Amino acid sequence: MNRVEKLAEQIFEEYKDYGVDKKEIIEKLKKLLVEFRVPENEALRTIRNYIIREYGAPATIRRERITKIEEIREPNRWVTVKAKVIQLWESSSPSIAQVGLIGDETGHIRFLVWTKAKKQPVEEGKSYIFRNVVVDDFGGVLRLNVTKISEIEEIGEDVEVKPPEDVSEEVEVVGALVAIQQNSGLIQRCGVEGCSRVIKMGKCPEHGKTQPKDDLRIKGVLDDGYRTYEVIINEDGVKALTGIDLEKAKKIAGETLDRNAVLIELKKMLLGKYLRVVGTATPRYLVARHVEFFRPDIRKEVEKVRALMEEI
Amino acid sequence: MTVFLKREVARRVFAKELMSSTYTLRDDSEKSPLYVLTPLGLKCNRVFIIGVLTEKEERGEDGNIYRIRIVDQTGSFIGYVGKYQPEAYEALEDIDTLTLVALTAKVRVFEGDTRKFVTLRPETISIADPESRDYWVIETAIQTLERIREMEKGESETAKLAMEIYNPDLEEYKRAVKEAVERMMEDYGELEVEEEILEGEEEEEEFEFDEEDISFEEEEIDLTELLED
Ligand SMILES: [Zn+2]
Repeated sequence: MNRVEKLAEQIFEEYKDYGVDKKEIIEKLKKLLVEFRVPENEALRTIRNYIIREYGAPATIRRERITKIEEIREPNRWVTVKAKVIQLWESSSPSIAQVGLIGDETGHIRFLVWTKAKKQPVEEGKSYIFRNVVVDDFGGVLRLNVTKISEIEEIGEDVEVKPPEDVSEEVEVVGALVAIQQNSGLIQRCGVEGCSRVIKMGKCPEHGKTQPKDDLRIKGVLDDGYRTYEVIINEDGVKALTGIDLEKAKKIAGETLDRNAVLIELKKMLLGKYLRVVGTATPRYLVARHVEFFRPDIRKEVEKVRALMEEI
Repeated sequence: MTVFLKREVARRVFAKELMSSTYTLRDDSEKSPLYVLTPLGLKCNRVFIIGVLTEKEERGEDGNIYRIRIVDQTGSFIGYVGKYQPEAYEALEDIDTLTLVALTAKVRVFEGDTRKFVTLRPETISIADPESRDYWVIETAIQTLERIREMEKGESETAKLAMEIYNPDLEEYKRAVKEAVERMMEDYGELEVEEEILEGEEEEEEFEFDEEDISFEEEEIDLTELLED
């Protein structure tokens, strides 16, 4: 498809309900762009105004050129998308009000709302039109940025989202555990039914002071020398690796009068170790379903080196 | 525009390659960390290493910095661990020399009067087992060979830059990888005993040479700089 056809297609999509003729659009566009060498945005404006005049299409429709998420392929584009908030993540910076994942029937994309944008917070499970959001590339991952000039409008419609099985993929990763984060080990979770957020400084970020529940987990970084995975290992995984379960962890904390002693012990046993993790990779985390110390067959592995050596 | 701090990958690189590096560079982005460019065109800011801790000396004004040496199959890495990295510092206090260790470290380059030196600033350090060390050698061998292949192709920007700056002898690096893997495979009964002894002698000589290099290095370095991010 050439550029003229592509632009015509775009306009046709916007106005097809008003009986416009695609051929006519193509011809007019060709004239403007090829014959008269009019700038693209001027040509589009001319055509749109023509359609509004001749076909009685509403003038506001042109704001609603909705981009499908799968069409978002490159940064520095301004787009409007209609999507459902799939997941909200913890913002790691005060300059970010919200961060998470949104999706429509074609795909999913990360989004973030800058604090300076001063927007009403969006909620998980609700659908919105995100107008004039700009795409950026963050470490090879495209994101939608909601800025001051963007608009977020909640809509009654429940946007259909591409099934999450397609987002989170089942993976197997072998890598070295190169870091274990501080909020690992014997942690406390909010006791409010259905919440279970991690307690920080004695408080749930949602419910404030509640009756906490103990839990054991590791949040760390798995690294294979090519990329990193933020991995979450739950109590079962921690137990499988170290023999320490929640009861034992509580005992260690009780004996040393220090909850942090559990984390120190886990770090000693696990940092720098190669792990094989089978789990679900979401755009943010690798959630371990099965984890074990990686036991390579060195004789087999060395064959890979030899094969490569012969190749070069 | 940093939301998730994009974590730098801990690269797999042998001492020979990393410690020969002298050139540093940054990305186009404003917040780019400083990378070291190795002679095989690897841009790295963090490494993961498994090797033998052969030296651990207290340095600094109040002895609050450890200078460590980690030996792999091709040479040795020098690192400094200060109290400003409490996790690594405390772990190191409990580890004796001649122990196999795994460490994740930031890579630093310091400018002496006559040349530049790569040092490591460990973030984590822990005791490792021989099996992990062997796997590390394999991983590192594969990733090094992949870099050599890129250098031979000479297409990527970093490969071109590395070729221009270092003009490395690729055959020499191939040999080093081969030797590293063979040395490691001795434990699996693939090499003659005589060769083993010979290799051992060679290695010792290499250490002495390095040591001279390093004592001269330290006179020129303000150790406190090592602790800055
Ligand atoms: Zn809560």
